[in-house]
Amino acid sequence: MNEVALLHNSLLVGAALFSIGLVGFLCRRNMIVMFLSAEMMLQGVSVSLVAWGRWHNDWGGQVLVIFILAVAACEAALALALVLMLFQRRGDLDIAAWDDLRESNLPRYIDHELPEVKEPEHHWPHLTPAGAEPKQDEEEITHRSHM
Amino acid sequence: MNFGSFAPSLAVLFAEETAAPLPPDRWSAMVKHPVGWGVVLAAIALWLLLPRGGAKGRRIGAVVGIVALGCFASQMKLLGTWSSDVVFGILAAVTVVSAVCTVTFRSPVYCAVWFALTLVGSAAIFMLQGAQFLGVATIVVYAGAILVTFLFVLMLAQPRGNAYYDRVSWEALLAAGTGAVMVGILTITVDKLELPATAVSSSGAPITAVQRDQNVLANEHVAHLGAELFGRHLIAVEVAGTLLLIALVGATAIVSAVRQSPTAGPSAAAGEEANL
Repeated sequence: MNEVALLHNSLLVGAALFSIGLVGFLCRRNMIVMFLSAEMMLQGVSVSLVAWGRWHNDWGGQVLVIFILAVAACEAALALALVLMLFQRRGDLDIAAWDDLRESNLPRYIDHELPEVKEPEHHWPHLTPAGAEPKQDEEEITHRSHM
Repeated sequence: MNFGSFAPSLAVLFAEETAAPLPPDRWSAMVKHPVGWGVVLAAIALWLLLPRGGAKGRRIGAVVGIVALGCFASQMKLLGTWSSDVVFGILAAVTVVSAVCTVTFRSPVYCAVWFALTLVGSAAIFMLQGAQFLGVATIVVYAGAILVTFLFVLMLAQPRGNAYYDRVSWEALLAAGTGAVMVGILTITVDKLELPATAVSSSGAPITAVQRDQNVLANEHVAHLGAELFGRHLIAVEVAGTLLLIALVGATAIVSAVRQSPTAGPSAAAGEEANL
């Protein structure tokens, strides 16, 4: 395989992953999705590191990615504990619920009212009755075995 | 919102790339370069795809995004054999497209599932590069453990249906522009790397395929990786272990502090709101 081309292409994929993660972190408001985006940026860096490691015939890149995995696990544990705590305080995963942590000279963020999204109505098919109606045991219908 | 400073700096970069004289040909240099088109199209596509209230246009965004992806893909180099080209192309496309879906889907559960696909794609790229252990570890640790923990928290905390904060984003246009410019600059930078045809070791001798087969691509992959990890990087391993322990203690402390604190809970949240 052409080593230069492999390095080049992998770096491009890593760059794309990093940038997409950056976009997600900047503009999403759900704390968990923001966190997923941060993990995606780490993944982009990992792809680049493995590519460089192969190019230089060195294990350093892969070893560093193993450490990235360990740090990402720590980060996930801590951040999810924090997210749960924040959720219990405000009942919301919205990062804007915490805008009182902003700089004191900045205006408060005001949400634009959005129309509620209606749950799509289900249209169940009407089946034409066929054959004789079976006899139903009343007790069996009302009995719930799993309760 | 200062796009004025972004655009000229990018134009300088493109102008250097095509070795055109700077002031008059800035824009034409940018126009001639496929990455220039890719940046603009990627920004538009991401903006259309990101949640913006009830705004429409996701299908157009998807089409524009595919064109932008093609612009960036035109910068890819051929790997030598057609099979490896096809495999790498598919893996890269799956990884990047699912990454875009992760960022743009409204429901965070779908975001997490798309992120799992991103991880599987990048794990496959690791395998393609000969990093077998990392490929497996990414799937097992990331997609298997970390992502499932994410899903647990989502199930615990997510309200029913799409919450309003999942249907709007902060400054979607600025964020999409930033990301597109970032990926453009990185692509141009990678293109401008003057890499020798073969890598050179620290002693100055070129690295041959045989040397790679005996080292990073050896059959005893895990043995080599373990020797490196527990030999040269032993102290770092110890530090990483300590870090994991500290994270464990910290997470427990955070959660138990919430349990014990009398201010926690929905009623306290209402009280805090009143105090503001």
